[in-house]
Amino acid sequence: MMNETFSMTTKPSTLPVISSRHVNFWFGDGDLRKQVLFDVSMEVASGEIVLLTGPSGSGKTTLLTLIGALRRVRSGELNVLSRSLHTASMEDLVEVRRDIGFIFQQHNLLPFMTARQNVELMFQLHPEISRSEASQKTVEILTSVGLADRLDYHPARLSGGQKQRVAVARALVTTPSLILADEPTAALDSQSGRDVVTLLQELARSHNTPILMVTHDPRILDVADRIINMEDGRVHSVE
Amino acid sequence: MYSSFFVAWYQLSHNKVKLAVAAAGVVVAVMLMLVQLGIRQGALDNSVAVARRVTADLVVVSPRTKTIFASAQFPRRLLYRLGSSADVAEISEMYMAQGRFRNPWNKLEFPVSIYGINPHSPMMNLPGIESFANELELMDRVLFDGLSRKNYGPVLQLLKDQGTLDVEVNLRKIKLIDSIDVGISINSDGNLFMSPANFQRMFPDRKSGSVDLGLIRLRDGANPEEVRDRLSGYVGKEAKVVTRQQLVNAEIVFIRENAPIDFIFGMGAAVGFFIGFVVVYQILYTEVTNHMPQYATLKAMGFSDGYLLRMVVSQAMILSLLGYFPGFILALGLYRVATNAIQMQFSMTVERAVTVFLLTMVMCGLSAMIAIRKVKQADPADVF
Repeated sequence: MMNETFSMTTKPSTLPVISSRHVNFWFGDGDLRKQVLFDVSMEVASGEIVLLTGPSGSGKTTLLTLIGALRRVRSGELNVLSRSLHTASMEDLVEVRRDIGFIFQQHNLLPFMTARQNVELMFQLHPEISRSEASQKTVEILTSVGLADRLDYHPARLSGGQKQRVAVARALVTTPSLILADEPTAALDSQSGRDVVTLLQELARSHNTPILMVTHDPRILDVADRIINMEDGRVHSVE
Repeated sequence: MYSSFFVAWYQLSHNKVKLAVAAAGVVVAVMLMLVQLGIRQGALDNSVAVARRVTADLVVVSPRTKTIFASAQFPRRLLYRLGSSADVAEISEMYMAQGRFRNPWNKLEFPVSIYGINPHSPMMNLPGIESFANELELMDRVLFDGLSRKNYGPVLQLLKDQGTLDVEVNLRKIKLIDSIDVGISINSDGNLFMSPANFQRMFPDRKSGSVDLGLIRLRDGANPEEVRDRLSGYVGKEAKVVTRQQLVNAEIVFIRENAPIDFIFGMGAAVGFFIGFVVVYQILYTEVTNHMPQYATLKAMGFSDGYLLRMVVSQAMILSLLGYFPGFILALGLYRVATNAIQMQFSMTVERAVTVFLLTMVMCGLSAMIAIRKVKQADPADVF
């Protein structure tokens, strides 16, 4: 995975991390068919931080779930991390997810495990990494998100901002090739929200990892390299 | 490092109260299953205990006899024919009936099983009876079963203190000369052993020429099946010759067909199984339901369905282990209590311990299987 990241940094323009061509998506079939994405084409290049904005119901979260291999496109082509998601099998989709760091609106940490255990759990998906290395990386990343003194706290004893920072650490600890975030600041006050985004930005920049982030939050637009506006299921404008 | 098993353990042990409740449910289930199956076995063993005591090679019974506890009689003269066979070493007759023993202290009558048997060669496993053989030949001299219930009063204490005790059985005064330890069953609360002659005195209304069982000892080297077939011809249709094992088998068949032992105790065990199943299912189901967003998140991050399924199954297995061992120990305690309370032997067998352990695994496994369906519904796309 490190090699992959490295090769992307040397040739940033040749291979987009995400490339969507004429993607359509709808829920239901027949009379109940409700189309939410129309002919969406967009790209995210290596190392880019791209924000996805738009009013609610504009289809931005749906697009994020398609890119995250959580749903399957109905028509069009979608390539993520050099894999064709429009033709992939269920197993392939699960495989792709392991290279992606997800950050959700809700932290969704396992309440019965400590911050350290929640983060270290991710290495279950990467058996090639040794135990000692895994626990070392876990401590490092929790330290870098400022939780060195909260390693063995259960989520119930952490504040909202701290929990979201654990979630960020969890998403990044296995050095994913792509980070997808869905309104990571929505449940936080402005200061914690700002902290989490800055942290995300720093960590992503240091590994040159691209980020695609859905957000309504005008306070964090400045971190973006590009902003994609969506409206009524279509890409409305790119800034 | 955080295999599904450890995550399962964290999940279960996080809430200690919930864990205790779940484990207690399994404990109750295990205990019920062990106790019910134990009592069932105890009752079955008990009701064939008399047949198992027979040491004769062949037994003659009436063809009408379904169980030796309610045996029909056959003419004694048939037994005399059998001595003509060279393979027969010895024949004795045996009488069995229920009598009424009057408790000398409270003057109430209690049923008692009475055996009329040749004390010199009982061909039954009645430890110690031979040493009283000569005395038992005297009129109205009787041995008392030391393991009889307390209904009959402090007989043993009196026998110890004064050597003999005069009591009334079937309105006849008899003398208890001592006690031997044999054991009772669900059919009888106590036993009296006496010679055939004294038995006739006790039951003057019975036809003196009819016996309940004929016991046959064969010469060394004789094949019981062969001799049985030959002797059957001698007795014709008036009696039946069976081997010792056939007698025991017939008793087992009788008790299973006529007493609802399998049904009652099987039902009890099934109830235990069901309680455990429901408790474990409830716990697992609420665990899964309460953590749906987290499970969906794990799926979104690339954890397979299999990983989550193993988490739930591991929880079920942990619960079955946590419940089994305390349940096992409690059941051992209850066996002891039951043995003392109703003077019937209950003991743990390896077979039953293993069977119930497997049943517990199946019980928890089934609960997990049903709770798992909920896990599959966790849709990673719903997390967003």
